[in-house]
Amino acid sequence: MLNTFLGHQWKGFFRARGKGTSIAVQIIMGLLIVYLLGCALVFGIFMDNLIQHFMPGRPVMEVFNGLILYYFALEFLSRMQIQELPTLAIVPYLHLRIPKRKLVNFLNIRALFSAFNIFPLVLFFPFIFMNVMESYGSFAGWMYLLAVVSLSVFNNYLALYVKRLSISNTRFVIAGFLVLIGLGLLEYFKVFSIAAVSNQVFSAIAQQPLIALVFTLGAVAVFVLNASYLRKNLYMEELHAGEARKTSTDYPFLDRFGAAGQLAALEIKLILRNKRSKSTVSKGLIFIFYGLLFYKQKELDENSFGMMLFAAVFMTGNMVLLYGQFMFGWQSSEFDGLLSNKVSVRNFIKAKLLLFNIASTVLTLVVSLYGLISWKILAVQFAAYFFSLGIAPILVMYMATFNYKAIDMTSGSSFNWQGVGATSMLMSLPIFLLPYLFYLPAKMIGGPFWGLAALGIVGLIGFLTQSFWVEVLVKAFNKRKYKIAEGFREK
Amino acid sequence: MIVEIKDLKKVYAGRTVVNIPELRINEGETIGLVGNNGAGKTTLFRMLLDLIRPDAGGIFSKNENVASTDEWKNYTASFLDENFLIDYLTPEEYFIFIGSLHNMTRTDVEQYLQRYLEFFNGEILNSGKYIRDFSKGNQNKVGIAAALMQNPELLILDEPFANLDPTTQIRLKSLVRSLRTTHQATTIISSHDLNHVTDVCDRIILLEKGQVIKDIQTTENTLMELEAYFSA
Repeated sequence: MLNTFLGHQWKGFFRARGKGTSIAVQIIMGLLIVYLLGCALVFGIFMDNLIQHFMPGRPVMEVFNGLILYYFALEFLSRMQIQELPTLAIVPYLHLRIPKRKLVNFLNIRALFSAFNIFPLVLFFPFIFMNVMESYGSFAGWMYLLAVVSLSVFNNYLALYVKRLSISNTRFVIAGFLVLIGLGLLEYFKVFSIAAVSNQVFSAIAQQPLIALVFTLGAVAVFVLNASYLRKNLYMEELHAGEARKTSTDYPFLDRFGAAGQLAALEIKLILRNKRSKSTVSKGLIFIFYGLLFYKQKELDENSFGMMLFAAVFMTGNMVLLYGQFMFGWQSSEFDGLLSNKVSVRNFIKAKLLLFNIASTVLTLVVSLYGLISWKILAVQFAAYFFSLGIAPILVMYMATFNYKAIDMTSGSSFNWQGVGATSMLMSLPIFLLPYLFYLPAKMIGGPFWGLAALGIVGLIGFLTQSFWVEVLVKAFNKRKYKIAEGFREK
Repeated sequence: MIVEIKDLKKVYAGRTVVNIPELRINEGETIGLVGNNGAGKTTLFRMLLDLIRPDAGGIFSKNENVASTDEWKNYTASFLDENFLIDYLTPEEYFIFIGSLHNMTRTDVEQYLQRYLEFFNGEILNSGKYIRDFSKGNQNKVGIAAALMQNPELLILDEPFANLDPTTQIRLKSLVRSLRTTHQATTIISSHDLNHVTDVCDRIILLEKGQVIKDIQTTENTLMELEAYFSA
């Protein structure tokens, strides 16, 4: 029976709709996972060298032991966010002559098929094999491995259990990250150390390998808890996470922009109330940390803004890039209605520009905190801001009129390639390259600050002539609206 | 005359799905569009609403080609399918949005909805759900009520009786009738339910493979005539 279920899942995966076009994407996905696993493996093999390099003078074992609990805490939070509940899969079987026990078993086994469960093995096994077994004997090594596998299984079922219980797991994950950051700070200021606890626990396993069985017991306990919960709640409506009562909301500050403001308010609701758009936009917020990677003292001193400009464009314009990439596919399910109602195309376009401009402005204000490092960063960011304000949205919207792929709003955006077409893939390229078209020549002539000024001025001109570009976009939209609408109807 | 169709043609993959040399629809008419699946009803509606481009000819609403101006949107309301709803809004938000397109204030909309409490049967308003979480029948009700709310001169509904419960079907019929008597609205309805269309419409247009093969004023014999056609 279990094989039949898994067989159906397998078929479901390979016969998924729209698979013909996305086979290349599947391959890329596969390669990506293999690549990540490869990275984890390399990381695992060279872990003792890495530890010695980054934490010189500390005993390797102590650092390794200290890291394990942190790894699993992070892993748990990522699972909460990314791992999907394999529940819908059983709906077609609920009414058939199949005992509940088997369905629950299937759900539980199905849940093990997740890349999350392979990573710890690849990451920790080499180190355990090479270092732990070497120092403490092979029995201790195997028990170490058992502890790691048990922790992974424990996380696997605990994440699913919490997800099934809790209404809003996003809030949970954010709270979890805050707690983790807090613990990290406590660690840093040497108030309280999880690493020390982790180290104590795993050193104990090294001495007394049988202690590892405690983790196994924990994993079994969570498995049983999850299974019994499932058996008691094997009803279609209870398998999903609980739902809160929905209320109407208003964004009065947008009213001053008239009809375009109303459409922008509509789009804000679209973003907040659909899983795919919400996760796309919230993921964009992570990119405001790009500055930490790209803003380097050396480059600031040399006034070489090339790479910094890249980061600045990405940070100030990430809403334009990430959300604009799938434009107008976000509205694919109501597109016919928008076209046949009394919505003017001009306002429709203006609303989107308004939304992009608000987003870029807010993002720029937030990343202005980087200005504390150096005023030069502010100069770079404001040049990028004007670009994201005046040029990028118009470019993105123009390319959007060539995008005929509907977006399925119900699934999350992590590793979701549905609706990704050639246009959306290529869209980001000109956005990244175009700033240099203005920056580089002016830099050659007058120096880096002239480069920034040129970019800023061009962006500002684009913004001030926005009403002209709106007309261009309206024309482009009207020319291809039948094709867009047709594409959106075939989901 | 409010709508005029001239030499209209739409071809999909070599197959002609709509081919109407001439058709005129007058103000105040209630028209039932019938025909089996694939007869071209929805395609015709979509061309009427400028959602797909005709391969030849055109549709003129008040003498203006619907594909070249937006003028018709001022007096035309329609509900074809769920793609017309904005499914992540609550019904109230959706009504207020549609109302705002026709310069109705929030209070106008709320007042208007009072008249439809019976039609909604207590299931639509204050339900605490987004439109996407409603059953298909209730989604239909939201779409139909939003269309009626626009006080249209031209109302276009694609299979409005499908998925509705019997009580609501009867209420919908009386709503359509009152639209005609109160302000001479023109209504075009497609349906597979011959009883309903002959009951509420005063003119029946029968499509087959994209062509108009019957165009008759409704009499007491119409139902039998249609049944004879469809059972043949």
